[in-house]
Amino acid sequence: MDFALSDEHRLLRDSARDFLAGEMNLQPLLVPGADATAAPRAALWEKMVALGWSGLIVPEALGGLGMSHVDLAVIVEETGRSLATSPLFGTLAGSWALLAAGSAAQQAQLLPAVATRGHRLALGMPDEKMTVTTDRLTGQCALVVDADADTLVIAAGGRYFLVDPQARGVTIERLEWRDITREVSRVSFDAVRAEPMERSVDEAWPWIRDRLYLLLAAESAGGLQHVLDASVAYAQERVAFGRPIGAYQAIKHQLADMKGQVECADVAVLYAAWALDNDPDVAPLAAAMAQSYASEAYSDAAFRSIQIFGAIGFTWEMRNHLYFKRARANAMLLGAPSAQRAEIFATLKAREAA
Amino acid sequence: MDFNLPAADDPRRLEVRAWLEAHPSPGYDDLYAQGYTVPHWPRPWGLAADPELQLIIDDELARAGIRAPNHVNPVAINNCAQSLIGFGTDAQRERFLRPALACEEIWCMLFSEPGAGSDVGALRTTARRDGNRYIVNGRKIWTSLADRARVGVLVARTDPEAPKHAGLSQFLIDMDSPGIAIHPIVDMSGTRSEYFEVSLEDVEVPMDRRLGGEGDGWKLTMLQLQTERVALSKPGAIWGSGPTARDLIHGLIASGRAEADPLLRDEAVKLYIEGEILRLLAFRSLSDRMNARPSGPEGAIRKMLAAPHGQRVLDVAKRSQGAPGLVRDRNVLPMAEGERGPYGNWDTAFWFSPGVTLGVGTQEILKNVVAERLLGLPRDRDPTAKLPWRDVAQG
Repeated sequence: MDFALSDEHRLLRDSARDFLAGEMNLQPLLVPGADATAAPRAALWEKMVALGWSGLIVPEALGGLGMSHVDLAVIVEETGRSLATSPLFGTLAGSWALLAAGSAAQQAQLLPAVATRGHRLALGMPDEKMTVTTDRLTGQCALVVDADADTLVIAAGGRYFLVDPQARGVTIERLEWRDITREVSRVSFDAVRAEPMERSVDEAWPWIRDRLYLLLAAESAGGLQHVLDASVAYAQERVAFGRPIGAYQAIKHQLADMKGQVECADVAVLYAAWALDNDPDVAPLAAAMAQSYASEAYSDAAFRSIQIFGAIGFTWEMRNHLYFKRARANAMLLGAPSAQRAEIFATLKAREAA
Repeated sequence: MDFNLPAADDPRRLEVRAWLEAHPSPGYDDLYAQGYTVPHWPRPWGLAADPELQLIIDDELARAGIRAPNHVNPVAINNCAQSLIGFGTDAQRERFLRPALACEEIWCMLFSEPGAGSDVGALRTTARRDGNRYIVNGRKIWTSLADRARVGVLVARTDPEAPKHAGLSQFLIDMDSPGIAIHPIVDMSGTRSEYFEVSLEDVEVPMDRRLGGEGDGWKLTMLQLQTERVALSKPGAIWGSGPTARDLIHGLIASGRAEADPLLRDEAVKLYIEGEILRLLAFRSLSDRMNARPSGPEGAIRKMLAAPHGQRVLDVAKRSQGAPGLVRDRNVLPMAEGERGPYGNWDTAFWFSPGVTLGVGTQEILKNVVAERLLGLPRDRDPTAKLPWRDVAQG
């Protein structure tokens, strides 16, 4: 029994943190009028690929790092903390979909390219309005993260398909997604030739979803930690009425509350990661709890941080709004926190009946 | 990283279980002799047990339906008796520890005063040296167990010339000493016997009842309150006792109220999640101690989170009843069997619950501790901290 990070995990965390502190520059996004294209996505992705991060969860046999979910959570907390702009989300989501729904041949064809060459993936959510006629897709995926990918994994008619985004009939429109640290697009399909995958959406999606919950929750926990650190630093340095504002209980008690949220989000994420590695029976519950809690706490803390910074925290040139928007996006991208709680309730009710 | 709890077939668990089967209704002196009362203490009082073994012993006592010794004699076992190991004399350890740990002598805490709650360093009770004894005068309040206690742990001012925190000392006093009178306080739940006010008038305390040196009172008091916050790590709504968020979900499902009110259901699941996270945090601090990592003031974080969490759990349970919840009634929600310690029913627990953000450190004090000691924010100012107490008292 040891609920804390091991020394190896601390090392992993510190090296990820150092790498991102050196490579991730939010400054271009803080120029008024900046949109998602201002972010250094391609350059950062190239360096992440060199570190093997495109293949974090790709099995070693297919050229990846084959990391555990705890390893992954440790790294993703850091990408969340630094708001690293890269196609990591889409590529992880697509990799999980390949692992859950792809045939061995499809996995062998794509995952080594993902791991070693940074081949980018993106995943369409299962509730999009898509139809299939003899392996041709028609319809629209309203919100696809990292759609500027090399291969799309799209759910349609209860199955998953691999789609080449360059294929005839695919239209990708980047949206004015408020969280400009991500690229989110609408993707339209007009009788697009697609390659069916092996397992159905019903079989694969719950497994994929649990991992996406962990991914977002870990990002949120890392972002929440940053928001606290930045707010504490500001409250120590900003002086009003002759004292640092952090000396006043109206401010410092909010920061104490945020510290409580940081501790809760962190342990919830690590528990979910550990459960995904070790305890498949509780993993869906643990992952949904982590996502529901962490995304809500992050939204709350990011809002408070703007208040603690005062009016300057409300300007485009400060980072506060980037975290606020990422937090809002993380809390909605996979369904609202109340939707996760409805899933949790269904699980608890089924347990009571058993 | 390993989130597994000690297994059902852990050999240490089987050993504890075998002993409890061989001794089906042990007395508290038997539990003490076996080392199960304070397993984390060094021998001869405890077993020098790691937290995992403590957890096993706690589990197994509850499973056997035994009321935990630290619920019977909480002030001694959770807070104060441990100070005798580091600060007491041989004679004090000899005289006090066995009867306290065997629950033969109940202890109570004489800390807060009518004019000194959160700012307990501003207490006015005096202990004046007179030959080889002290003469104590003052009033103490919020003392649990004063009606049953044989031993009172008293903090009083021995040096009025020193600044407020520096002039305090601790004593182990006989609660049947002449000059001590106790008066029950009825709290808002209607519970008659929980708290008392204690007045001390010319109470004689022999020299050898002072714990530690003169002036050690503040340090000892802080250590004792800190261990209390760590001890309050169980998931019940009232300082770790009573119904939990799991009980809430169970009750709302069993009563059909979860289906009837989706908003209440969402709140309840939110609390369920929080409750599970608080369990994880409690186990994490346990495992930190087990793995010899410093735990420090993190007990304050958990209490800061757990107290309002418990209030909200009880609030949702009560609201699920509607207007009939205003009628005194023990059957608020269906509840599974199990040992929940004091405040075991929803109704009493709810009407008591406004107190949990007041006792054992008010919410505001805990937030100060978290902000100042964990986040490094500037401390609140106390303009009286450095002045001689006599000048402060004369105002």
